[in-house]
Amino acid sequence: MAATYLFRRAVGAVFVLWLAATLAFLALKLTPGDPARALLAASGATSDEIAVRRAQLGLDDPLPVQYGRYLVELVRVDLGESWLHGRPVGQMIVEQLPSTVALAIAATAVAVVLGLLLGLPAALRQGTWVDTLTTSISVVCLSTPTYWSGLLAILVFSLYLPLFPSAGQGSPGHLVLPAGVLGFAMSGAIARVVRAQVVEVLRANYVVAARAKGLTPRRVLFVHVLRNALGPALAVTALQFGFMLSGAVVTESVFARSGLGKLVVQAIVWRDLPVVRGVMLVAALAFVLTSLAADLARGWLDPRLREGLQ
Amino acid sequence: MNTKNRTRYVAGLALTAALLVVSLAGCASRPSGQIRYGLTLAPSGIDPHVNASSELGIPLTSVYDTLVYLDPETSEFVPGLAESWSISYDGMEYAFSLREGVTFHDGTPFNAQAVKFNFDRITSPDLKSQKALFMLGPYDRTMVVDENTVLILLKQPYAPLLDSLSQVYLGMASPTAVQKWGADYQLHQVGTGPFVMEEYVPGDHLLLKPNPDYRWGPPVYKNRRAQAAEIEFRFFTDAATRSPALESGEADIMGEIPPQDAKRLESSSDFKIQVVPIPGVSLMFFLNTTRPPLDDVRVRQALLYGTDRKAVISTVFQDLSPLAYGPLAANTLGYDPAVQAFYPYDGEEAAALLAEVGWDDSDGDGILDKAGQKLALEAVLMGWGSMPEVAQLLESQWQALGIQLNSRVVSYPEALQIAQEGSYHLIPFNLSGSDPDILRKFFHSQASFNWSKINDAEMDGWLDEASRLTDRAQRVALYRQVQLRVMDEALVVPVRDYVNLNGVSNRVRDLRYDGQGWFPWLIDVGIASSGK
Amino acid sequence: MSSRPAGRRARRLRPIPIAAATWLAVVGVLAVAAPGLAPEGPAAADAARALLPPGASSPLGTDFLGREIWVRLAWGARLTLAAGAAALALAVAVGLPVGLAAGGRGGWVDSVLMRIVDGFLAFPGLLLAMAVMAVLGTGMDSVAIAVGLTAAPAYARVARTIAREVRVQPYIDAARAIGCSPWRIAARHILPNAGPALVSFAGAQLGAILLMMGALNFLGLGAAPGSPEWGMMLADGRGYLRQAPWASVFPGLALTLTVLAANLLGDAWQ
Repeated sequence: MAATYLFRRAVGAVFVLWLAATLAFLALKLTPGDPARALLAASGATSDEIAVRRAQLGLDDPLPVQYGRYLVELVRVDLGESWLHGRPVGQMIVEQLPSTVALAIAATAVAVVLGLLLGLPAALRQGTWVDTLTTSISVVCLSTPTYWSGLLAILVFSLYLPLFPSAGQGSPGHLVLPAGVLGFAMSGAIARVVRAQVVEVLRANYVVAARAKGLTPRRVLFVHVLRNALGPALAVTALQFGFMLSGAVVTESVFARSGLGKLVVQAIVWRDLPVVRGVMLVAALAFVLTSLAADLARGWLDPRLREGLQ
Repeated sequence: MNTKNRTRYVAGLALTAALLVVSLAGCASRPSGQIRYGLTLAPSGIDPHVNASSELGIPLTSVYDTLVYLDPETSEFVPGLAESWSISYDGMEYAFSLREGVTFHDGTPFNAQAVKFNFDRITSPDLKSQKALFMLGPYDRTMVVDENTVLILLKQPYAPLLDSLSQVYLGMASPTAVQKWGADYQLHQVGTGPFVMEEYVPGDHLLLKPNPDYRWGPPVYKNRRAQAAEIEFRFFTDAATRSPALESGEADIMGEIPPQDAKRLESSSDFKIQVVPIPGVSLMFFLNTTRPPLDDVRVRQALLYGTDRKAVISTVFQDLSPLAYGPLAANTLGYDPAVQAFYPYDGEEAAALLAEVGWDDSDGDGILDKAGQKLALEAVLMGWGSMPEVAQLLESQWQALGIQLNSRVVSYPEALQIAQEGSYHLIPFNLSGSDPDILRKFFHSQASFNWSKINDAEMDGWLDEASRLTDRAQRVALYRQVQLRVMDEALVVPVRDYVNLNGVSNRVRDLRYDGQGWFPWLIDVGIASSGK
Repeated sequence: MSSRPAGRRARRLRPIPIAAATWLAVVGVLAVAAPGLAPEGPAAADAARALLPPGASSPLGTDFLGREIWVRLAWGARLTLAAGAAALALAVAVGLPVGLAAGGRGGWVDSVLMRIVDGFLAFPGLLLAMAVMAVLGTGMDSVAIAVGLTAAPAYARVARTIAREVRVQPYIDAARAIGCSPWRIAARHILPNAGPALVSFAGAQLGAILLMMGALNFLGLGAAPGSPEWGMMLADGRGYLRQAPWASVFPGLALTLTVLAANLLGDAWQ
């Protein structure tokens, strides 16, 4: 039944999240040196003040106590405080979230459209020059780093042809190049999956049967093939979500956009570990949620999965 | 292409076209008379009594008035909120006669009690002032003599006091506002200046509007009233965003334009680059004199002779920066032009010095060695100020001499830690300030930034004495000796005088900067008559 | 059922894999020969020859300090390949035992190990590498370790899948029936039969590893300033994109072609 499936998936997701949170906690504790002390010292605090502050942050308590408190805070959606700015990490992340989310959504849209544009013709004209060409383009998409294609995009579409801004944010125009570059990079994997799924579906029995019944090719495509191919395409898009977050970090750097990417890079340079940990947890949460959502979507789209789920 | 794909293709084209139109129309209409100023750093705190960033001074110098002002052209102090002042013979008492009829933006009257309130605030341990407190030096206390007379008492004579008092960090804030807002004061700052802080959203923007009652500007201000209708500050922390923002009209004035962009904007007819030299300690590499092989002065001198600094200026700074010859920038009070005679680029002299010390390439690997040790130097850099690029060029130039330079970039806290431990050969830095007492921060044996690790009792004596004397000529003479000693002992490799490359749209007129170089006098800035 | 992967039989000599292998060979030769071809080293600058375009006076142009791009590409190839190989080796060294143990043993060992791997896989790759670097500090060594550790979970998963397939083969049951210990079974039966598929996946991962390392260096978290690592060269060239686009175009092209070659070879091997 769908409900049991959903419940088991949800439990699995929570477990993964707990594991991720524990890994993040351990990572912080394993750090050599004392970055917290270094950061506090840099702001001019004296040794006594640093000791007080460390006690306030609970950095000197025994490990299990810190771990327990950490878990409780997480449940209350408290991600701790930045060592560098002294502000709540959650707040800092929420401030930067809209910019990154806008980029992510726009890039996903571009990627899905491009992925379908590349994958469908390849599958429909399997074996011909169309297939080879579009498959080649897909592989190139996968292999091109966004930090290079981004610079090329700036060169052509911003410097030589002053069409779009090369840096910053604020208007939809600022999203065009970053979303285009990031979407282009992601589309390769999506195109591959689309092609593979469509090829498989075309060979499936029920499609042959539908054709034998006399349905026109166009209708066959729409009703059966697309519906069954879209599911896995969405699934791979969700899996790509992780890659896309990474891509967003780099793309934000190339196009000088503020967002989670800039936040986490600065945190790494300054060893502001609570911020790094906070971003990591948010990313893990987002990944788990989108996987769940993609599974559900796939279940809904593919009638075979909806009934008789095991 | 079948119909479905063609539809999609057309839809994609239409979407792109729509985005194009929207982005081109993105330049929003703005209030007339508004000037947009681009800031380059978003400091976490902008209370001048508390925080140390120079970025906060760019807007706030026009929100606050100071007791005195520094005239950059004459290097003299002129009346501000203090109409006149006198210094006692022993240099430990400063009496200020305050201007009458001055009010803060919130209506509170400005008087001697307000002055005392401000200094009490700055020196209170609860405030944890990071800069203003230290600018007061051996401050003792403030005494109110009468409504318009105030006395500042010091524990020792302190020559840089007037210079400190001319800076926004010691600007006069409204006691009423400070008490009312408490910890949130930085969001609602109230001074007596030509502009009022209308709105501040941290990290996003800061809005200044003219103070309608302003009548008491110092003689260095050209205008009595603010010329702009309002000034909006926005943050452009990423250097790559600055010239695009200027060129697209998002900003009318933008500071710290990267040199290569500035070069290009120079030739544009819509913009100009206003090059503002910053007084203080130039960008230079401090040589750790306690760590071999740099403990031998001849090795240090070889580094200086072996550096083609003109090449650094032309490549990294696109010739937009003056070459530095000594520890002080050329436009700083007390700068001694005699430093220009030191260490012209001479590769042969460098090689000769190294050979004299005993360094030789005995194993033919291109790197000099002596007694089994290679001549390898460690440089610890911070990411700003083009330091990494300069280090790369030095690496190449010194490679020709047989010296290996390894550099790495660390964050500021890490750099401070490394500097304390002394585990480096070179560390670059620069610091702005209009009073030559800034040298004491770097070259006094007890100084916190003594990165050359120097312990020279004679120089300590000069620095201490110069900070106490009131007579300017005597001070300058002492600082001259300090500069010559620093260069004689080759304690540093000076690279360049810091300049702020401001990009200014031709829409703006009369942008002038104060004696610190960083801070504009916004009262005079206006829209050019041909502008919108 | 044969225990050899089917792909082996189908592999023919086609132009694309040959071109890919050729490119990788060229990069390898450049990397090895760099000290001989360009003994002046990647740091050698000449201010008078700054920002020269590719042409008569300079094969691939010069950057803002007058350094030859082709010299830096050659020296950068050494860094890139060495670090990439190190990261790959680490990924295999960590992921292979974990995956084999999980797939070979099954049962609760499998569940526990795979859950832990899932925990790591919940983090996006680059972010996980960046988090590891936050712990280790910046620098090229940290980059190699971080990327290696980040690639290990995916490798563990694949190793497990392959090991599971092999585990259910009849000869495995026979070996167990005779009384071979699990380690012996793993070493003598699972590994050799899973080998080709594992190698192929490692090769396919090489592309992703190179991209990730380039990203970390581009963001300024890895190599020292002035390092000719290709990602770093891209970052350096960015400030001068208008005056000297070749300083960014060529390093990026080299990296893309290398990753492309790795991916194509990985595909062809299957």
